[in-house]
Amino acid sequence: MKSAIRMPALKQRYGAHERAILGFIVVTLFLLLWEGLERGWWADLLRPLLGAQAARFALKPIFISSPPRIAETAYRMFLITGEIWKDIGWSGLEFVLGLAIAFAIGIPLGLAAGWYRRFSYAVEPFLAALNATPQVALLPLLILWLGTGLASRVLIIVLLAVLPIAISALGAVRTADTRLIRVARSFSAGDWRLFRTIILPSAVPFLLAGTRLAVGRGMIGIVVGEIYGSAAGIGMMINQAGSRFETDKVFVGVLTIAVAGVALVELVRVIERRVEVWRPPVAT
Amino acid sequence: MMHPAYERLLIGGGTLVVFLLAWEICADSGAIDPLFISSPSRVARAGAVLAADPDFWNDVRVSASEFIIGYGAAAAVGIPLGLTMGWSRRISYVLGPFVDTLNAVPRVTLLPLLIIWFGIGIWSKVAVVFLGAVIPIVISALSGVKTNEARFLTMARSFSASRPKIFVSIILPGTVPFLFTGLKYASGRALLGVVVGELYAATSGVGHMIADAGNMFQTDTLFFGVFVFTATGLSVVALLGMVERRFERWRPKVGAAT
Repeated sequence: MKSAIRMPALKQRYGAHERAILGFIVVTLFLLLWEGLERGWWADLLRPLLGAQAARFALKPIFISSPPRIAETAYRMFLITGEIWKDIGWSGLEFVLGLAIAFAIGIPLGLAAGWYRRFSYAVEPFLAALNATPQVALLPLLILWLGTGLASRVLIIVLLAVLPIAISALGAVRTADTRLIRVARSFSAGDWRLFRTIILPSAVPFLLAGTRLAVGRGMIGIVVGEIYGSAAGIGMMINQAGSRFETDKVFVGVLTIAVAGVALVELVRVIERRVEVWRPPVAT
Repeated sequence: MMHPAYERLLIGGGTLVVFLLAWEICADSGAIDPLFISSPSRVARAGAVLAADPDFWNDVRVSASEFIIGYGAAAAVGIPLGLTMGWSRRISYVLGPFVDTLNAVPRVTLLPLLIIWFGIGIWSKVAVVFLGAVIPIVISALSGVKTNEARFLTMARSFSASRPKIFVSIILPGTVPFLFTGLKYASGRALLGVVVGELYAATSGVGHMIADAGNMFQTDTLFFGVFVFTATGLSVVALLGMVERRFERWRPKVGAAT
């Protein structure tokens, strides 16, 4: 009887946390599976069944590394030798410069294209073409122009990040509340005033959404830009580790970029929520 | 007053022509060394030469295989996966952590690993194309199921429609616009995968041709290669748009009959 009473309570509790419980179990299983491949657990387990064939289930660490190895390498690179900080610094510099230039070009371009119809007709073909091109295909050209230094790596980030910013700025102007504009116009507000008090504030949420996309693309730019050798940088570190079969280092680099990307996108989201506070809820 | 549609064509086309002319004149007059910027006529000539070159067609074949196999596999895996994840809460809990993690990782960073695993042949590129494209497809299919019309569901339930019936007649048609948005976005990701994969390490492919041309200062060939990618990107999106319109023909225009 006792268990009959307790069961539903347990089930309820499971139901409330099902997502966390199932997620935890699956991720643990995955990590065990991975560890087992590296340590040859599965090969040992399957040997009676498959005989010599079972050896295929034991993989060398240079192929897949393993969770503890990666953790250990990360610990070493971040805290003991600190070698990764130099790479993070270089890539961070590229990223900040690239995004700053992308903003400096993309926002005025997008706002102008949204505001002046004729100007938008003129730039649309170029934006569409650049949008359809995988921008990284221009990397060899950039290197031909600028060499393999910092400039070409910053510029590839600019090329990747500028489009989402420009397009979101354009969209922001196009979707600005026409009622507000009409009211302002009827009180004979000038273009500049209209722009400053109505268009710009209502563009901010769009720009932040564009920024989130740009951050993701900038991360790609970091890695791709450093393909062709560079003094330092996370992308370079990943490439070099890959060519030396230091798989655990590759994983550390990949995870570092993933964490940085997620943290930056989260930061933008926090700003987005902060900005949204002043806006009255839409009620018409 | 000119009709806006003509004005758009006129201004857009006009700017493009002016841009190409300025480019040509800059190069021909020697204001900027054509070695660096090439020129439209030189690019066209390079295209003509390449079109007669069997090596170029081999590169195209390699890149196309990477794109088609990787992107096709991504659609074949991603659509059912996303639909199941949207339909079954449990499955989404189980697979969610993996999809989220992969979504956070820029997939091109995995290239060095993929090359260790699959070599520098086409399969490492197929893998990076697949990984790049599959995540947006899964996420769009999933959100398509999640945002179905609650009214239709209530209605179907009150007529005691079975779950499979609901899925086929309500959920699936509702996801189509989402699926195509995801597929279009994923095609860009797939193309990015082809290019980066081939720039990184390859022995053939259009991306490899671009990289080679860059090393040998063959700017004309380089531009033509970039142009091939641009044209591919535009045509894939246009093609998907056509298929989408075919699928959406049954849908009544919003606000047409209320």
